[in-house]
Amino acid sequence: MKALLRFFTSVRLAIVLLIFIILASMVGTLLPQGRSAEEYLTRYGQLSALLQRIQLTNVYQSFWYIGLLCLFSLNILICTLTRLSPKIRRVFRPQLGSEALSLLTLKIKDRFKLPGDVHSIQEIVKRELRRRHYRVRGKEAAGKVFLLGQKRALGRFGSDIVHMGILIILAGGILSGLASHRQSLTLPEGQTIPIAGADFSVRLDKFVTEYYPNGSVKDWKSHLTVLEKGKEVRQKAIEVNHPLKHRGYLFYQSGYGWDWPRARLEIWVRKSDQASAIEKIFLRVGQKQSLEGGNIDVVARRFLPDFVLDERRQPATRSLEPHNPAVFLESWKNGEKVFSGWVFAKFPDFGRVHGTAAADLSFELKDIDAPPYSVIQMAKDPGVPLIWLGCAVLMGGLFLAFYWPSRELRIVIEETNGKSELTAGGSASKGSDAFEREFSAIMDSLRKTR
Amino acid sequence: MSEGTFFLLTFILYALGAIFHLAYSFSRKESLARTGSSLAFGGLLLHTLALILRTVESGHAPFTNMYESLSFLAWSTVLAYLFVERKYKLRRAGAYIFLLVIALMALASSPLMPKEATPLVPALQSYWLWLHVSVTLLGEAFFAIAFVTSILYLRAESREKKSGASKRRPTAAELDSVSYRAVAVGFPLFTLGGLVFGMVWAHKAWGSYWSWDPKEVWSLITWFVFALYLHTRIVMGWKGRRSAVIAILGFLTALFTYFGVNYLLSGLHSYV
Repeated sequence: MKALLRFFTSVRLAIVLLIFIILASMVGTLLPQGRSAEEYLTRYGQLSALLQRIQLTNVYQSFWYIGLLCLFSLNILICTLTRLSPKIRRVFRPQLGSEALSLLTLKIKDRFKLPGDVHSIQEIVKRELRRRHYRVRGKEAAGKVFLLGQKRALGRFGSDIVHMGILIILAGGILSGLASHRQSLTLPEGQTIPIAGADFSVRLDKFVTEYYPNGSVKDWKSHLTVLEKGKEVRQKAIEVNHPLKHRGYLFYQSGYGWDWPRARLEIWVRKSDQASAIEKIFLRVGQKQSLEGGNIDVVARRFLPDFVLDERRQPATRSLEPHNPAVFLESWKNGEKVFSGWVFAKFPDFGRVHGTAAADLSFELKDIDAPPYSVIQMAKDPGVPLIWLGCAVLMGGLFLAFYWPSRELRIVIEETNGKSELTAGGSASKGSDAFEREFSAIMDSLRKTR
Repeated sequence: MSEGTFFLLTFILYALGAIFHLAYSFSRKESLARTGSSLAFGGLLLHTLALILRTVESGHAPFTNMYESLSFLAWSTVLAYLFVERKYKLRRAGAYIFLLVIALMALASSPLMPKEATPLVPALQSYWLWLHVSVTLLGEAFFAIAFVTSILYLRAESREKKSGASKRRPTAAELDSVSYRAVAVGFPLFTLGGLVFGMVWAHKAWGSYWSWDPKEVWSLITWFVFALYLHTRIVMGWKGRRSAVIAILGFLTALFTYFGVNYLLSGLHSYV
């Protein structure tokens, strides 16, 4: 047990663990993480089974990475605790009575004689130290006066506070990993969705995409209403960076799209022999529409928002964005098929050029009206408050460790030949140059007291 | 005058600063180094104007593409160097810092880097863009100072080993100490800007404070390397050569986080 404790108190262990965590983290960024088994098989062949078995394909959730983090936490905890009690004793219950000779072994020190008895000198020294915001303790023994001045004692605990911050953050991370709940909600306008596990639901009233003059997206806004037992309790337009918060649940704007299968297609039908005669029809995929009193039938068979030919030369869609909308139309005239082919919104002449147009009919895909939907990321993460607390503690600790150097000054006053001899020594946790200047300023002003 | 003109003038002033500092490192005339730093300070003022102009013209923080962020990193590095020079009276590193700054500026203006100010995508429309990027890059600027002083330390140390400590300032020990102090400033800044502000922003924009995105992981790695530096130095008393090597590795890791991740690894941080 003792050996185990000693193992965990060593800084060497911390260094080794840090190096291992660094290497493990690197590996996780070099191999693609969390992909499908097939993808690993095509990428790494025989090796993929091994990679998956030792969880190199899911490093940050792997038992060995989490194990490393746990060991690291334990190391931090034990290191901090074992170093804490001597520090606390040193700051809050310090030993007074260091002998003058031991003070003279310090790097920052001074010794000189002053006229006056030990007690009056003691008062002068105390006043001087207090003026410089030192907390002074004193005791007398064997005709000598021992004084201890401390300043910014909290600075000594900077590193411990940093470590506590890290532990709080790790605890928050564990809580997030175990108890957080995330879900992606796909909401068309007007739809209400009940939130699983909570007794409220969310309705998307309106979804707007705003564009910059150059056509790129400026913002997505989802106007949400929160309903509790059918009653509207809250309304907010969420955007990226501006989520809605309700009862611990957060709703983020995370994506958008169009409900293409339900798109309403506006198609202009032109008769080749009379160019000006245009008939507008509205179609959905799978629907049939009749023209000229039932002489002509038009059917939309398939719609692709971003038409491409895939590697097998088959029509497919590259994305769900309307970059190259195309519809596959079929048309009959008096029971005889007169048209069958793709019609492109961006290339209205395609049919004519490629000769697929029927002799006397041509089609144009003029407009597509698909109901937009918003993708909203819902998250309930009870670890978050701990993370912010940990971050605040961490930053506070870093500030104390680097910019709040604690200073300690010990002084012994003893009587020799009717005069008082003063021996002083000091130490600072950091920034000893600045402390040295303050130390000699204190000594100078003491020397001047006559 | 346009932002481009200011950028060019800044570049010229930094280059002159580097030349004067180089001349100083050969001739040891203090006045040369002073002139060099004054020129660089003038450059810093013009650079600040250029950044302000860029902000006004584009209507958003001047670090949303590689050109802008490299330029801002150069600005931070000059600022950090002038601060360190004033505080620790360290002139010798000037020449090499300014060479690094010039390299950053040249890279920023190279045709490889996209320059045009594009409107902000929704995810970047947040005041956290200012806080997260500026504080992180300022922290990395101090890591750059530690990097240069550590390299100079290694050189000075091997020379001192051969011929004994010279009276020429600064000695290896001074370089070692300045390198540590630069890390001591950079580490809290990097922690605050890179990790803490980054987590807060990720929480607000993506709905999750940590996603193990390659940029996040590499920032964490950078942080761990400097944590290693601090622990070996403060607790185990490492100094000099070994410390310098860790500081150099730390800056290279930071550089990879900033630069390499964008080009070699893909992830959520694909804005720049």
